[in-house]
Amino acid sequence: MTVTAIPAPILGKRGEKSRTKEVRAAPTLAMRRLALSVRNPRALVLPVMNPVLFALVIAPALANTVAGPAQQTTYMTFLALATMGLLIPLNSLFFGIGVVVDRQQGAMRELLVAPIRRSSIVLGNMMAAIAITSLQTVVLIGLSVARGADYVTSTHVLWFVGATLVYTVLMYSVAEVLATRLPTAEAYTAAIPVVAIVPFFFAGSLFPITALPGWLSAIAKALPLTHALALFRYGLTPSSGVRALHNIWGMTNVTAMAVLSAAVIAAYALLAFVAAVRLFTKAGTS
Amino acid sequence: MSLFAGPVRPLTRELNVTNNEEKINDRITDPHDPGRMTGAAAAVAAEELAKIYPGDIHAVKGISFAVEAGEAFGLLGPNGAGKTTTIGMLNTTVKPSSGRALLAGRDVTRDPIGARSVSSVVFQDAVVDRPLTGRQNLELHLKLWGVDTSVGRRRLAELTGTVGISDILDRPVATYSGGQRRRTEIVRALLSGPEVLFLDEPTVGLDTRSRHDLFDVIGTLRERTGVTIIITTHYLDEAERLCDRLAIIQSGTIVACDSPARLLASIGPEVLELRTDDAAKAAAVLRANGVEPDDVVVIGQTLTASLRAINGARALELLEDGNVPARSATARHPNLDDVYLRLTGGPILSPADRPE
Ligand SMILES: Nc1ncnc2c1ncn2[C@@H]1O[C@H](COP(=O)(O)OP(=O)(O)O)[C@@H](O)[C@H]1O
Ligand SMILES: [Mg+2]
Repeated sequence: MTVTAIPAPILGKRGEKSRTKEVRAAPTLAMRRLALSVRNPRALVLPVMNPVLFALVIAPALANTVAGPAQQTTYMTFLALATMGLLIPLNSLFFGIGVVVDRQQGAMRELLVAPIRRSSIVLGNMMAAIAITSLQTVVLIGLSVARGADYVTSTHVLWFVGATLVYTVLMYSVAEVLATRLPTAEAYTAAIPVVAIVPFFFAGSLFPITALPGWLSAIAKALPLTHALALFRYGLTPSSGVRALHNIWGMTNVTAMAVLSAAVIAAYALLAFVAAVRLFTKAGTS
Repeated sequence: MSLFAGPVRPLTRELNVTNNEEKINDRITDPHDPGRMTGAAAAVAAEELAKIYPGDIHAVKGISFAVEAGEAFGLLGPNGAGKTTTIGMLNTTVKPSSGRALLAGRDVTRDPIGARSVSSVVFQDAVVDRPLTGRQNLELHLKLWGVDTSVGRRRLAELTGTVGISDILDRPVATYSGGQRRRTEIVRALLSGPEVLFLDEPTVGLDTRSRHDLFDVIGTLRERTGVTIIITTHYLDEAERLCDRLAIIQSGTIVACDSPARLLASIGPEVLELRTDDAAKAAAVLRANGVEPDDVVVIGQTLTASLRAINGARALELLEDGNVPARSATARHPNLDDVYLRLTGGPILSPADRPE
């Protein structure tokens, strides 16, 4: 065998080189996460199954049962949008299982010795979670339209898109925190219903929060999902959205209320993201 | 560099190496200025590294060593000795409780990303994405270490060819045998052209044939890349075969550090191994005839003695004259196990741990 020397490494020292490497790290890791997800289609289908079932079957049936003929479409649309409040948390939390698996039997330690910041690892996972959630959102909204939901297309849609993104950042950060703190996949899976489903019932998904007893409606106003749902509604069904925002803020300036609710979920998302990065970084060098 | 200023502390317990003029410290002290370590230029330098895990577990108790570029340095010790923890501190995944370490001049605590960029790790247990193909796993490493695409492609082809895994690259790693997976992990580690490669117990769990294949692979890759290797193992044959120098580590402390040949020489030319019902009597006879107390180790009914003052034949004669009841007795060449026994008073492996 001829012995050929392998050329000296092209190493990312400080400055330009390492910065470009750092910028590329998160997308690289997002692609890895997506590649792993594609190999495990069940993990993609499971979290979207409940919301789809809800939007396609339960929402129309409920609407038929409770609403008078004139209100049926409106209520069905109301419920179909509520489904977003299940889809994003379920999907983000199912996605976070990947982090537990990485740690227990995957390449986590290889990532931890890579010359990249710990935050890039969290960010990479999050980018993949956002990609998948966006895709599922499109599927869900598309299906509910096919089933007869009545959305208004206007520039308000941007509120829907923005709220979806920020709420996904929040829920995925929560997922990272849980994945970093909980020791096993079992403990993590057990936490999913509590975190993803319980808030759903109090956040103005099936009925306005004004229907709740006073103290519960105060709690509901503090839940980020309440604000996210109000913005989803404001984006695709503005008149129902205005009511939801008014139920929270009681103000007359609609844009101000929307901005306030957006600020609330953004603040939650920022806090959760910082916590996720901090905890992950701490766990990465024990 | 403050790390290397000041007086040099003795790194290890000094060995009774008769023909050893060059002390262990000489390897890492500058011959022109003995007060100064050349560690700054070393590929790996550890100074008084210590790790206390929560629960007051003193896993590593202040160890120091320096490894030259291109050297293969072994950390040899039983399970629980602190080898993985030491590697963890060097690869920035374990935070040292005290002490310092440099990889190619980069401080692992102050510049962890710099330290990681010049090193790669092959972990004790599998650290791969099993659902992904070998190629996907390898390409991820190239991207994360920021290797130029064409350089990366060439290295990937060259290294996978060298270790014979080119054909299986497009299969999911889940379908690989243990040996194939290890090769993939070693190739992955070398793709970024690291200055330092950490191998943590690289052959644990492999069958004899695969172990020996892997020794060969590591040897070949070392020749081709000139990479500095830090290898941990609890297998003596592995340490002897792969390492230029060994630190024997016991309960978080380095008890000896030298080349395998000189560690063996420290034992003397011959070793007596005796199975007897009266080890105490046998030990007394040997001591009375010039065998150092430190050179005699008794475990159960087996006495092992390093012989310097007397040779094997004479030792057997003396035992017979002294009416020591011997069931079997042999004089043989020393091996690393004897070095280990003498230093620690116990065997490195329980019989169940020995490789087949
Ligand atoms: N994360 C940890 N937390 C607490 N104790 C640990 C941890 N990792 C290792 N230890 C303990 O530290 C000691 C050294 O372990 P380790 O470095 O894995 O040894 P080796 O690799 O030589 O077998 C052992 O007693 C082990 O139980
Ligand atoms: Mg170990």
